[in-house]
Amino acid sequence: MSNRVLMKGNEAIAEAAVKAGCRHYFGYPITPQTEIAHYLAKRMKDVDGVFLQAESEVAAINMVYGAAGAGARVLTSSSSPGISLKQEGFSYIAGAEIPSVVVNVMRCGPGLGGILPAQGDYFQCVKGGGHGDYKNLVLAASGVQELFSLTMEAFDLADKYRILVVILADGTIGQMMEPVIIPEDTDMKIFDKPWAASGKKGGNVHHTIKSIYIDPVVLEGLNNRLQSKYREIEANEVRVETSALEDAEIVITAFGTCARIAKNVIKEAAREGIKVGLIRPITLWPFPVEIISETARKDSVKAFLDIELNAGQMVEDVRLAVNGKKEVLFHGRTGGMIPSQEEILDIVRRIAGGGF
Amino acid sequence: MNIQIHSEGKSSEAVPKSAFETYETAWCPGCGDHAILTCLQRALTELGKDPHEVLMVAGIGQAAKIPQYISANSFCGLHGRALPAAIAAKIANESLTVVVSSGDGDSYGEGGNHFIHNIRRNVDITHFVHDNQIYGLTKGQASPTSQTGHVTGVQVDGNINIPLNPMLLALAMGAGFVARGFTGDPDQLVSLMKAAIMFRGYALLDILQPCVSFNKINTYADYKSRVEPLPEDYNSSDFALALKTVQIFGEKIPTGVLYSVEKPTFHAQQATLSSGVPLLKRSFKLSAVEKVMAEML
Repeated sequence: MSNRVLMKGNEAIAEAAVKAGCRHYFGYPITPQTEIAHYLAKRMKDVDGVFLQAESEVAAINMVYGAAGAGARVLTSSSSPGISLKQEGFSYIAGAEIPSVVVNVMRCGPGLGGILPAQGDYFQCVKGGGHGDYKNLVLAASGVQELFSLTMEAFDLADKYRILVVILADGTIGQMMEPVIIPEDTDMKIFDKPWAASGKKGGNVHHTIKSIYIDPVVLEGLNNRLQSKYREIEANEVRVETSALEDAEIVITAFGTCARIAKNVIKEAAREGIKVGLIRPITLWPFPVEIISETARKDSVKAFLDIELNAGQMVEDVRLAVNGKKEVLFHGRTGGMIPSQEEILDIVRRIAGGGF
Repeated sequence: MNIQIHSEGKSSEAVPKSAFETYETAWCPGCGDHAILTCLQRALTELGKDPHEVLMVAGIGQAAKIPQYISANSFCGLHGRALPAAIAAKIANESLTVVVSSGDGDSYGEGGNHFIHNIRRNVDITHFVHDNQIYGLTKGQASPTSQTGHVTGVQVDGNINIPLNPMLLALAMGAGFVARGFTGDPDQLVSLMKAAIMFRGYALLDILQPCVSFNKINTYADYKSRVEPLPEDYNSSDFALALKTVQIFGEKIPTGVLYSVEKPTFHAQQATLSSGVPLLKRSFKLSAVEKVMAEML
């Protein structure tokens, strides 16, 4: 049984969290994601959950640390400037290996910037905006239905790997409305959390949630363990969508909103006889290195074109994966500007004609 | 036929030509922020300030847009972080008249920690808090000063938190100047703003300011029926009386200078700054630098 409804991206995130068994939400108002809070303020009542408006983003991420540290499924959400504030918490949560889910509905920066869509937080979320050697698992949807399923999946991934999962959406994806099929019954996985400060009787009574290790040998041991966990995630959790790669001469790489525009460009270009393919990373980390690397080796591929709503962030990972085998071109818009289909099509035409 | 137009924030008397220009705002029609802007312009003008002498500082929020709407030096800081930026600007240049003008969410919520610790520091700055008891910019969530039971889009069963009493907190932290105004009484507001700016040390003026779009409880009519100027014989140097008075916030809300006693400022106590010459205006002796360099090289 399932239910088909029209939802905003932000509402889909909120409902998916509830379906995934999340019963704790901590947040602080910021545009363009406040709908998540408004939705959950009402919805948490129906499911005996708790909605709490924190005094700041810093408080909210530390509430996530606390409640997730006690073993609960927890969500917080914010937008770019608020996510910057949470970075200290990200690092501590990584060090203490606490399963957490954080939504970032990106707006344009730097600084307060504006409230319009952007993808300028790729570096911050994918490379790690806090201190130390750690990774977040980063999921980027390009539609509302996908946002729903990825949000549900995020909670399983967080629990499975004891990692912080970022749902990285831009303002367009958060605000747009699309039909969503909501599953009535979900096969929610239950994860045993013996490490949690859960109040459970028996076993180890000294459950310490911490990231401090004064002994360098012990701390290096933790870092090694984290790194081997990250290698395991890289090996098992890459998610990517590809389109028209078989005979593509130009390969567009894009995530989120830009991938939607790219799909239309591919259709239009095909009509003009230009063969364009798409690689859309769904996991921004782990990054789909292999498929990009394989594609770069193909003789049919002339060049890559990376499109982002920033000044060039994911393109660095694309270049590392292409590793000099083909030229990687970049087109980005910032400040809340979104490239039009015609704008990208024009670049594609110029690449095909050798003039970019 | 005589038509009299009375708009909030404008006194019935003719406003003298001000050196401070104001610009088109993005606030809702009827917002109390308009009155605060007009009163601010009047207060600065009546104090004889020039725009170049004034630094307006704010964080983030509807209120925090105010530095962009008046011709003075202006600093648009981070959410909740106006005070650290403001006191640091005053440390860098003591000759600036530094006025923080920001909202209740910005000043008391996100910036709560800075609020507490900058009262303790007692840098000679002025802090106007546009207190509308709601988050306006994000369209209506409870703020630190929202009353218990206030229903919003996210406090769906009503706010269950105890409202923050900024006047009581400021007094408890040792603030030297604690006052409350209301945008519906612009003449009083102008005099409070002037007193706050003239006060030597950290001066807090909490301004009740209705949010006509997102707070349907604390309206003009609501505040108007509750505010009551302090009696003329009120002794604002009596700490015990102030402590008692600031706790009145219900059917009656006292307005005026609740407490005013000057204490040694940060600048007066800080070894380098106590000379009174702003850091920016200190003479620079190249010979001293050369001497240090010679010793080090």
